[in-house]
Amino acid sequence: MIKQNLKTLEDRSIYILREADSKFSNIAALWSMGKDSTTMLALARKAFLGKVPFPVIHIDNRIDFPETYSFREYLAKKWKLNLIVAYSDVKPDAIGSACCGKNKPETLKKVMKEHGFDALIVSIRRDEHGIRSKERYMSPRDAKFRWDYKNQPAELWDDYSSKLDGGSHVRVHPLLDWNEIDIWSYVKQERIPVNPLYFARNGFRYRSLGCTHCTVPVKSDARTVDQIIKELEVTKTEERSGRSMDKENEMVMQRLRALGYM
Amino acid sequence: MLGHKDHGKSTLIGSLLMLTNSVSRARVEEAKKYSSKLHKSFEPAFILDSFHEERMGGLTIDVTRAEVSYKDAAFSLIDVPGHEELIKNMISGASYANTALLIVSAKRDEGIRDQTKRHLFIARMLGIDNLVVAVNKMDLVGFDRAEFDQIRKGLSAFISRIGFAGDNVSFVPISAYMGDNIVERSGNTGWYRGKPLIELLYEKAGGAEGKNDGALRIVLQGFLGGRKDIVSGRIVRGHIKVNQKGTCIIPLDINITVRGIIVNGRGVKSAKVGSSVALKLDRSVDADVRGSILCGEAYCPIARSAIRARIFVTRRLSGRLSIRFNGMDIRCRSIKIIDQIDSTTGELIKSKRAAELNAVDAELSLMVKIPAERFDETRELGRFVVYSGKEFAGIGIVM
Repeated sequence: MIKQNLKTLEDRSIYILREADSKFSNIAALWSMGKDSTTMLALARKAFLGKVPFPVIHIDNRIDFPETYSFREYLAKKWKLNLIVAYSDVKPDAIGSACCGKNKPETLKKVMKEHGFDALIVSIRRDEHGIRSKERYMSPRDAKFRWDYKNQPAELWDDYSSKLDGGSHVRVHPLLDWNEIDIWSYVKQERIPVNPLYFARNGFRYRSLGCTHCTVPVKSDARTVDQIIKELEVTKTEERSGRSMDKENEMVMQRLRALGYM
Repeated sequence: MLGHKDHGKSTLIGSLLMLTNSVSRARVEEAKKYSSKLHKSFEPAFILDSFHEERMGGLTIDVTRAEVSYKDAAFSLIDVPGHEELIKNMISGASYANTALLIVSAKRDEGIRDQTKRHLFIARMLGIDNLVVAVNKMDLVGFDRAEFDQIRKGLSAFISRIGFAGDNVSFVPISAYMGDNIVERSGNTGWYRGKPLIELLYEKAGGAEGKNDGALRIVLQGFLGGRKDIVSGRIVRGHIKVNQKGTCIIPLDINITVRGIIVNGRGVKSAKVGSSVALKLDRSVDADVRGSILCGEAYCPIARSAIRARIFVTRRLSGRLSIRFNGMDIRCRSIKIIDQIDSTTGELIKSKRAAELNAVDAELSLMVKIPAERFDETRELGRFVVYSGKEFAGIGIVM
């Protein structure tokens, strides 16, 4: 992996966040406490004169890692975030699409309705997954939260024309252009705080973070941000190789996204 | 990445990704597994075409972007659908490109098609200057030089007629499926003296920023922090300095001075083209600034409601017409067609009817004045999307 020009990425992300702020009246962002959505918050602070102007939602199934919860409390306080925790309880044996794929979107629907949000910032990146590489920067979701992927609106020249048009909300994707290595290079440049689970302990680290049921660490000796960047420059494995749901096939992922999965 | 359907666009990107090691082994394996599930031999296109419907039908429905790493560069390949009815998605994808890679199949009965030329016509209209033509499926014609030359000759006149400069155009014979001339020169085409495809793309990577000259243009997005004296925007041309003299906001016609500039969180003395900026003004602005332009008053666009434009038409121009310009929806009062241009020949047609998939030169009369400029003057302020009701109906450039 080779990193892209960070200034160019930063300029576009900030532009997208400000466009969303001007276009929509009631915005929220999803925050999983992972590196991507935390980087998005760092960009929002830059876009909006030092503070995150919209509420951040954590869909909490109560089985995230203890480190993740303490990181949430730490950063919410430090950056004065307006944090909304929406609980999404799971059956103890639920795993993969039965858990993230069904429970979480239902909880998200509920919290979006309760607060009347008309736009949701989601920190997905194109390089994560084949299906995610089909997304627009702004993308409408219908009344049932579905993604009409066969008939997406035109989106030319950074003019995001998506409108609600009777749908439930518009998804905003400010990090679509970023790759994994760009995120880590930016974390380094801006000294963005990250969850300690990303760093190797006893020869393993988490490369992508989900909850305790679905995430396994990968072999690694990268104990610092610099070492992670070095590791990514030569890696041949997939970022989400430690996520059980992604191992189910592409069709499952596509159905999930169409149904409103993040 | 342009070209007629089934001439191999997605296959070529799949090959480029694999041969430059830009894609993980897991993704290649996934594509292989899916290929065999559909009882097909391994199809590199599946690395890109990830929708189930795309794999079943063997077509690209919507734009995909993929990152290729080569030497010290990372560049994005934008795959677009080749089918006529998906031209809206093709235009969306192409609007983000600075180089066109056109695929033409050398296979018997494929060759140069209307859609091949139409894609080039659109690319040129969108302002793309660089062109690489990859003549594909050379393995199916025995790597015959005559087949390659025939396609080159068949396209050259059209390419120069629609305005590509000869120096910016290259042709390369390839087999996307077999990997010939993709990253290394192939032994099968000893007669070809040029570079492999990836080198041609590498030479053209980067660039394509707005003009960084004396003419300042900042497209304003809105106010920040609930204050009427701080605005956000993007510099699409030129540069701005703190306390710069003679700046104004049009079409509001307000003279202002910029007292402070923030670029991506940091206070700075000046900012250049491409930057997202927050600007502290010397006064509050009462009107809504969204869609207005901050510029130097000595040389600024004049807001007007009558515009002469070239429009590529994708849908009949009827009913309630509007244009999307610079983030705003603007109603059209009327449209008068002056000429029609055949997008597959680049020549004028003597019909005043705006036929789909051709271009027209037209006079537009708008309900409000907009700060438009000629496309060749300031691209960002010289282009728009046409809507008929809620439906995408075409793209236009101001002449």
